[in-house]
Amino acid sequence: MADTARDLSRTLLLSGNEAIARGAWEAGVRFGSGYPGTPSSEILPALKELGHAYVEWSVNEKVALEAAAGASIAGARCLVTMKHVGLNVAADPLFTLSYTGVAGGLVIISADDPSMHSSQNEQDNRNYARAAKVPMLEPADSQEARDLTMRAFALSEQFDVPVIVRPVTRICHSDGLVEVGERVEVELRAELQPNTRKYVMIPAWARERRVAMAERTAELVALAEATDLNREEMGDRSLGIIASGVAWQYAREAFPEASFLKLGLVWPLPPERIRRFAAQVERLFVVEELDPFLTEQILAMGVAVEAVDERFGLGELTPGRVRAMISGEPAPRAAADEDLPPRPPTLCAGCPHRGVFDALRTIKAYVTGDIGCYTLGTLPPLQALHTCLCMGAGVSQAHGMQKVRGHEAPVVAVIGDSTFTHSGITALVNIAYNAGVSTVVILDNRTTAMTGGQVHPGVGETLSGMPGRELDFEALARAIGIDDVCVVDPYDMAATEQALRAAMASPEPSVVIARRECALMVPAHGPAPALEEDLCIRCGKCIRIGCPALSAFDDGGRRPIPRIDEALCTGCTMCAQVCPVSALKLPTEAEGGGDA
Amino acid sequence: MVTNVLLTGVGGQGIITASTVLSQACRIAGWEVKKSEVHGMSQRGGSVNSYVRFSADGPVASPLIPEGAADIMLAFEPLEGLRQIGECTPDARVLVEERRIVPVTVNLPEFSYPDNVLERLQASGRRVTVIPAMATAVDLGESRAANTVMLGALATLLELPESAWDEALRAVLRPKAVEVNLQAFERGHEMMAEA
Repeated sequence: MADTARDLSRTLLLSGNEAIARGAWEAGVRFGSGYPGTPSSEILPALKELGHAYVEWSVNEKVALEAAAGASIAGARCLVTMKHVGLNVAADPLFTLSYTGVAGGLVIISADDPSMHSSQNEQDNRNYARAAKVPMLEPADSQEARDLTMRAFALSEQFDVPVIVRPVTRICHSDGLVEVGERVEVELRAELQPNTRKYVMIPAWARERRVAMAERTAELVALAEATDLNREEMGDRSLGIIASGVAWQYAREAFPEASFLKLGLVWPLPPERIRRFAAQVERLFVVEELDPFLTEQILAMGVAVEAVDERFGLGELTPGRVRAMISGEPAPRAAADEDLPPRPPTLCAGCPHRGVFDALRTIKAYVTGDIGCYTLGTLPPLQALHTCLCMGAGVSQAHGMQKVRGHEAPVVAVIGDSTFTHSGITALVNIAYNAGVSTVVILDNRTTAMTGGQVHPGVGETLSGMPGRELDFEALARAIGIDDVCVVDPYDMAATEQALRAAMASPEPSVVIARRECALMVPAHGPAPALEEDLCIRCGKCIRIGCPALSAFDDGGRRPIPRIDEALCTGCTMCAQVCPVSALKLPTEAEGGGDA
Repeated sequence: MVTNVLLTGVGGQGIITASTVLSQACRIAGWEVKKSEVHGMSQRGGSVNSYVRFSADGPVASPLIPEGAADIMLAFEPLEGLRQIGECTPDARVLVEERRIVPVTVNLPEFSYPDNVLERLQASGRRVTVIPAMATAVDLGESRAANTVMLGALATLLELPESAWDEALRAVLRPKAVEVNLQAFERGHEMMAEA
């Protein structure tokens, strides 16, 4: 599959995400839904570019999967995309969708993130396949990402089951050569007629489906025993390795001579093939990232797999780690130059979140937050975000804190605009309904910034490019029952601090909407301020807003002096606003005209 | 035989674009190629690494360069080059942009930007060539073409046909940006001939 000769005229360089979109497109997908989440975010935009299919950013992963379930019952092939933690949100429909099955093929992409490159945890979503009893395919490169996505649609319809395809970051965001084909249109599979025993999961009918699921799983095991999705590659029989996905790539890089049982279908497993493979090799290892998912099942089959150190289950594997895992040699570690200053991700120059976090730091608030660029507000020098659990959690956490600590506790929740529509609205309803007192700040930067700037309901545009009904946050908050609602510009730092103090002082629940477009989405606001060195008292206040365009430069004076990188500065003026002696002159001031 | 090229620098420097051009040039030449990087949180002004692996005569397995096996490193920022030097083979070629980008962490008391980064790169034993990529790009009137100056320098170390580079640049870049980038590529090329 991966290394065979290609027809160069039909060979493209595609990321794993682009290849998944391509596979779905060629398989005749008609409906695509999802919610952005690294490393899955590029799949639906790529599908949109290919055309033919309806695509949408749904408000969250649960809604995306439910909408696809509807489109599937209506007969269409459907693709649903999300990151690993997104499947937690969509788990409720997933588990029962396994009972109802599908009409049009339904493929769920769960993009996992070993090593947490851009995630709050590194859960292993292979466990969902086993728990929900749905088959799971794991691609090992871009070619397989396209091929297995196509196979997943066929399997979904053949076995009347949603199918999960699980790429990981190193598949989604790796590019490789893909031999592609053309789209094959697939007609809507069935008339839209009620089939209540299949689609209404009341206990009596669910019990029938439960039996059908058990039969289906037995049929899937029979498939696993025979399919070319799994393959034996016999080499030197002194070492046998069972692996799938990118872990198989690392293993064959580290041990090119070994024998492999390469799994494309990672649930359910083929016990007979595994026993047969084990019997042909002297030593047998399983190479897998994160949980011992394959290992424990294979051990339960009575097959002797050699144990490996549990620490290899933490973080992603590499060729060197796989070598160490099997050889017992120490794991390679690049000699780190420990005196080098780290370069962590940071809020961008001109980021409007900075105005809110600077004010919250001044107020000494306990800030409950969640997932987004604004999570970076926790890092020095701002250090003004104190919880990050899951999307929407900060709003609920603030409520819980104030129920036990009272209104006086200086607690503020912050949540991004896209995240608010994803899972903050119900938490806000909960505050209003349960007589909560919390202040919730919606960091409304008019985009889903962290994942690359996707549209959402608050923006009023849709992925398909059609205008969408714009969600009115102020009206929504009032409709929920929050009377104290205000809008501030976070670039106006004094007004932002004042609004936050007033909202926190009020015994009523309140919503502060800090509205200003993401600095990456708009051109620079103006030229950089100019430092009047004679006025500067070197107090460091401007440095402590943590702007990457500002650095402290040691010019031999008693303390460092700020320097502005004009290429990075967006002219937001926040550094000038915090300067106590007005040493940072805005261009209009420097020229002696206009007001600031 | 697989060649491993590590591109390192700071988010926003066009590293992923450069690695895409290199990968496309390999595809056009009929070579096997894989490239890997991470998006998302790591890109907000943080360190960025892109791994490109290619072979004219066989498969490429891992999308990640095995530890310590980078044959060539393109460092778009000196400090990031020093951070990754351990990922290079002992006799690797290192091309490093001279312009510094100071990380915000130097504003914290415990960190400073070392003043001997290039010396330390040289002392590592690898063959290091300093490329004034940004200065050259600014001279051409397009600061965003600095990454292509680096590619032009890289091209002298690889056996990719010139036509593959040309076609790759045209395939990846916006049509309006092609002309100045072709010039930037040529300048990078010349710089290595003189070095």
